[in-house]
Amino acid sequence: MKCLYCDRKIEKYTFSSLFLKEDGLCCECRSRLIPKRKIINIRGMEVETFFEYDGMFRSLLLQYKECCDEALKDVFLYGISDYINLRYHGYRLLFVPSSQTKLKMRGFDHLEEMFSEVKLKRTGGLKMKRELTQEGRNREERNLMLNNYIYEGGPLKKVLIVDDVVTTGSSLAGVFRTIELFSPKIKVLALAYKKT
Amino acid sequence: MECLRCGNKDPAYFYKGSKGYYCRRCIRFSRLLLEEEPESFEYEIASGADEYHFSYELTPEQKDASAKCLKALANSDVLLNCVCGAGKTELAVESISSYLSRGLKVAYAIARREVVIELEKRFREIFPQADVISVYGSHHEKLNGDLIICTCHQLYRYYDTFDLLVLDEVDAFPLKGNETLMNIAIRSSRGRIIFSTATLDTGLKAILKKRRYETVELFIRPSHRPLSVPKLIFLNKFLAILCLYRIMALTANRCIIFVPDKRSCRNLYLIFSRLFSCTYVYSDLKERESNITAFRQGDHRFIFSTSVLERGITIRNVDVIILNFGKTFDQSNLIQMLGRVGRGMDSDGRSYIISDHFSKEVEKTMQYLKKANSYL
Repeated sequence: MKCLYCDRKIEKYTFSSLFLKEDGLCCECRSRLIPKRKIINIRGMEVETFFEYDGMFRSLLLQYKECCDEALKDVFLYGISDYINLRYHGYRLLFVPSSQTKLKMRGFDHLEEMFSEVKLKRTGGLKMKRELTQEGRNREERNLMLNNYIYEGGPLKKVLIVDDVVTTGSSLAGVFRTIELFSPKIKVLALAYKKT
Repeated sequence: MECLRCGNKDPAYFYKGSKGYYCRRCIRFSRLLLEEEPESFEYEIASGADEYHFSYELTPEQKDASAKCLKALANSDVLLNCVCGAGKTELAVESISSYLSRGLKVAYAIARREVVIELEKRFREIFPQADVISVYGSHHEKLNGDLIICTCHQLYRYYDTFDLLVLDEVDAFPLKGNETLMNIAIRSSRGRIIFSTATLDTGLKAILKKRRYETVELFIRPSHRPLSVPKLIFLNKFLAILCLYRIMALTANRCIIFVPDKRSCRNLYLIFSRLFSCTYVYSDLKERESNITAFRQGDHRFIFSTSVLERGITIRNVDVIILNFGKTFDQSNLIQMLGRVGRGMDSDGRSYIISDHFSKEVEKTMQYLKKANSYL
């Protein structure tokens, strides 16, 4: 098998790889993508993160999202999905919605694919009011995201809001504000945080 | 199964996604589904776009090589094998003009962004009536024009588009050893290709073997001066620094000091910046552009550099010192670095290679210089 990132043949295996599912990355690439759990406080929310949005994670995410390389879907949560299953047992996953244009272009929901190994139940019904992208926007412009979500589902007991990268936290805060009217217990998780 | 963009046929590189199979070999350029045909461009060349003029006279050798190049293109591709500073860009101009006059599409692709920007300006002066556009990195709003100057990576946007493609510096990063990118480059052309190089290596020979081509050589610079033959100095690392200090103290010229890695680049800068007016540069340095500009403008006399400055920089009266420790520099690196010396009509300079051993690469470089200088 070849590494999904560097194309080199995977020859070496780590001790942990004996217990986990087959990894798509070789040892060298994986060593540059080791999760480091960190709780960050942003806009009054406690967000659990695992990576810094930099270097290897950034390259992989860009290849996955912008170049639509679906093959990479399992590399991000390798070794983390079991932790999420245990830590958030009983919670329902709620993905921060992507813009329709991006979804159409990609042909897949990148968060749903990434979290395909997570066994928690999903919940839907969250929509964007307007098509807004965050690329190239400053902090003030990103605040538009705060009131840009609408929830059309029923009440929820426990919700885990999930996004890929947290920068200013405006998307997550927008979703949080919308959902807190429907659920008494909300946790927030982002795979990576971006230093601003 | 074959990827139309990069030519990959290895099934291991095809992945079935939500929209169907796509090639992962060239995925970093964007996803191309197997059933999709890459985008190709048609464009009507403006009349008068082919008119060109130089603000200087070409030498008889350059005129001769330029005519040979155009003649050879009628039947096959061309390998332009010229020494550094021989004016490879000028040699392609007549051929470009000929293709434009027939309404055919032409592109000039080169490795580095900085060189694309510089070439765009030069080509605008040479072809005043043509719509010359540049495509690189994030600069890709306009993709079509009479003459396209782009980085090699941007060729993935043009499938089967160009009737004449000039691939400059084929011996260098990123084309060197990158089969995928080379295939993308070749597939962007539907007609002829001019492979332009100063250092013909085995990798390029292997690519050319599969194609019909004619070689046009030019081993004489317009100044008719020989290529700079370096003084070889063999010392250990500590003595090398002392020797470097002595050369820097004695030279009156500006000087590019090539070092094998970023760490030594930074460290040597920290040592010598207390003694001389100097700066430094390496590929991912934030102040890269400003440091190069400062050196070009003469604000500093010395610049420590990794191989980033081996191409695309022309400074009159410059010396070159190469600290050749380890196995970082190969023949093509060394030739390009030494090629910085004596560029332009009345430019002069000296070159040195300081090393702890006499490597094969240095030996090959010396042989190449000897051969090239024998044409004078």
